[in-house]
Amino acid sequence: MPWVPDTAAAPLAVAVPIVAACLALVGARWAPRPLIDLLATGAAAVTAWLTGALTLAAFGGRVVTWTGGWSPRDGRSVGIVLAADPVNAGLACLASALTCCALLYSWRYVDSAAGHYHALVLLFLAGMNGFALTGDLFDMFVFFELMGATAFALTGLRVEEPNSLQGGLNFAVINSLAAYLSLIGLGLLYARTGQLGLAQIGAALGGRPADALVVVAFVLAIVGFVTKAAMAPMHFWLADAHAVAPAPVCVLMSGVMVELGVYALARVYVTVFSAAVPAAAVREAFIAFGVLTAAVGCVMCVTQRHLKRLFAYSTIAHIGLFLIGFALLTPDGFTGVAVYVAGHAGIKGALFLLAGLLLDRFQTVDEGELFGRGGRGAPCWLFLLAALALAGLPPLGPGLGKALSEDAAGAAGLPWLAAVFVLVSAVTGGAVLRAGLRVFLGLGHRLGPVERDTQTAGEERPETETALTRTPPTMLAAVVLLVLGGVAAGVAVGLVPALAAAAGRAGQTFADRAGYLGQVLYGGPPRPAPPPVAARWTGSGVLSGVVSTVLAGAVAALSLWLPRGARVRARRLRPAVDGLHRLHSGHVGDYVAWLLAGAAGLALALLALPAAAPG
Amino acid sequence: MSGRARLVVFVLGAAGLAVAFVFALGGMPPFGGSEHPYRDLAVAAALRHVTPNVVSSVNFDQRALDTLGEETILLGSVIGAAALLRLVGHEKERPERAGGRLPDAIGLGCYLLLPVTLLIGLDVVAHGHLTPGGGFQGGVVLATGLHLLYLAGRYRSLERLRPLAWYEFGEGASATAFVGVGLAGLAAGGSFLANVLPLGSFRELLSAGTVPVLNIVVGCAVATGAVVLLAQFLEQAIRITGGAGPGSSG
Repeated sequence: MPWVPDTAAAPLAVAVPIVAACLALVGARWAPRPLIDLLATGAAAVTAWLTGALTLAAFGGRVVTWTGGWSPRDGRSVGIVLAADPVNAGLACLASALTCCALLYSWRYVDSAAGHYHALVLLFLAGMNGFALTGDLFDMFVFFELMGATAFALTGLRVEEPNSLQGGLNFAVINSLAAYLSLIGLGLLYARTGQLGLAQIGAALGGRPADALVVVAFVLAIVGFVTKAAMAPMHFWLADAHAVAPAPVCVLMSGVMVELGVYALARVYVTVFSAAVPAAAVREAFIAFGVLTAAVGCVMCVTQRHLKRLFAYSTIAHIGLFLIGFALLTPDGFTGVAVYVAGHAGIKGALFLLAGLLLDRFQTVDEGELFGRGGRGAPCWLFLLAALALAGLPPLGPGLGKALSEDAAGAAGLPWLAAVFVLVSAVTGGAVLRAGLRVFLGLGHRLGPVERDTQTAGEERPETETALTRTPPTMLAAVVLLVLGGVAAGVAVGLVPALAAAAGRAGQTFADRAGYLGQVLYGGPPRPAPPPVAARWTGSGVLSGVVSTVLAGAVAALSLWLPRGARVRARRLRPAVDGLHRLHSGHVGDYVAWLLAGAAGLALALLALPAAAPG
Repeated sequence: MSGRARLVVFVLGAAGLAVAFVFALGGMPPFGGSEHPYRDLAVAAALRHVTPNVVSSVNFDQRALDTLGEETILLGSVIGAAALLRLVGHEKERPERAGGRLPDAIGLGCYLLLPVTLLIGLDVVAHGHLTPGGGFQGGVVLATGLHLLYLAGRYRSLERLRPLAWYEFGEGASATAFVGVGLAGLAAGGSFLANVLPLGSFRELLSAGTVPVLNIVVGCAVATGAVVLLAQFLEQAIRITGGAGPGSSG
């Protein structure tokens, strides 16, 4: 890399946003607002460049740097290591790029709370980058808390609305509780191994079959991560938080923060526990939880009319797919999820910003109240394109990720999982398509007024100073950039052979536990690997993408033009759906109960399964 | 969910976790054992870097990145609290009122204790690498010491000693300084947060390299951060009115 050595890029990815946050905080007292906007966006862009260069370097082998110069002797060190491979450096790059787009969109965002908004967003970025890049379990926890503290405040930022504080509070209580459980897990691991680094703990545990302490420590340690990832039944906070958070904050939370939860689960399992906790048990447990998450997300998504909640539940449904992709525990599974996450981030981020634009123009994000008001400008076509992309249309990003994950599931002997991927893409894409056709083109039947008892009310305030009459160019530019990113993830990776091979190598490097331990603890060179499965479009992938897109169109058409008689008959399903809606009550006590139940279920499943599962 | 259903789910979950935890405790190492891999490494490393307070060595030298993260959490929490407690819409500042009278003994006690407390705080920060204490502990002593003025019944004199803008500036500056020390290590020592200053000799105030520097930086960060944080809550409780503010609405 020109100007900056590779090993400096990882610490700089944390340091640059922190310094920029301090400058924004202090500068906002005297500098004009545009200067602060420029400073914050510029800092995020510089960080994106640094992490992008780090990702490129990591394709040639992990970039390992010990902070404080505490390099290990005989595989032992007291220090903290930053270990960048293509997957986590790519996630840091994704976080930085999304932050850049979110801050660009925010140029017209009115209430920056005297620079506090910019400072919080940049500290949030520092937290995400640190969390992604560190190779130390306790350091992960520290940056997890940094992501949390800043995200809670950003969620509740619109303090003039009581809902906003409620959403932020639910988010804070549930994530903090989960973090405490994680800390207990870390304590158990430290008691057993006396180590804190991922590689060191992994080496200390390796080889021996796991006893109850190791299994319980694994479950507790990851509870924080899967709660951040919104795995059912720990997912309840997500929709409440996304419904009230400012649109650019939703981009960061849905686009990369929750995905970092899945990343951390995968990283911790692969590096620390995979030699001790049997893969068969983990695979079964997380496929089950993934399917549950996908199902809950789908039903809640398609029965939603509050646009931001609709997108939030679609994120939950996709998290279910990412969990399934992880649970395959194969290199091409990891590759598929990585590509899927990149494509999903751009598309979902664009959708949240488009919802923000609607809110700024019409003071509502209710599908019924917006009927036909969106107009046929650029936002309309971007929205519909994003809906098709979410449904898996080839050759766009989410479609490629979906196709690769399906292929990986087939190769792992679980071809039926492809049906789950197709269904989730069809239902979530169909729901978004339906909303877009209704809001922008006024198709289908009109919806009745909002039923107050089921979900939140319609009246909301714009995030800009006054309601917008047209779309400001900076806001539209942010949306276009995000859509382009989501499209490019599929077109570039799927069709350029060199990039397809590189993406395949990313998953392969991620799965290579022995290589990670060797390079981090003993400074060994990157191991030569067999040529990976290239992440390119295949015939079956294109076919499956076309099928899910057509099905999404059918879902949208059914909900727009179902004849009245059939609609009345469909109401018989209402009690079941209403029951599920009532579980998402907004009552934080309910959420705490489900969090504990989910953690207990995971622990008991993993304690019981090894005995039953062969190997 | 109804209260009963919530209780059932909660009890089942908590009981399941408790059972799993008891299983796990069976695998714990025996109490008071002598095997301690991290201690063996950390104590030796602290001595190599001439830092008799091993805890400080772990916090500010061996695992300084954790401490940078923790200081940033504090910074983020303070900024977050300030953003959430900012004045909006219908909230107004209440005009100042003359405070009630306190017994003279309390006022006198507070005034006598104020310089002593501040001195102790500075001492705890400055000797963090030699004796128990350090930036976090000393910073809290400093910040709470200042609030003796509030206990003495003088909110206005507290405000005079506490120009918030400067404290917010100090907060930003100390976080930047921490990163700056890290970058200096990167430039001079080849790795972020490397301890590149001369290590000196045991029992000297100027020893342990960057450890005392980072202690002072964190002391400033914690003191200013805690003052700003307490100020937000005091303002909210004492000076802000506005009936149906989000804090008071149901």
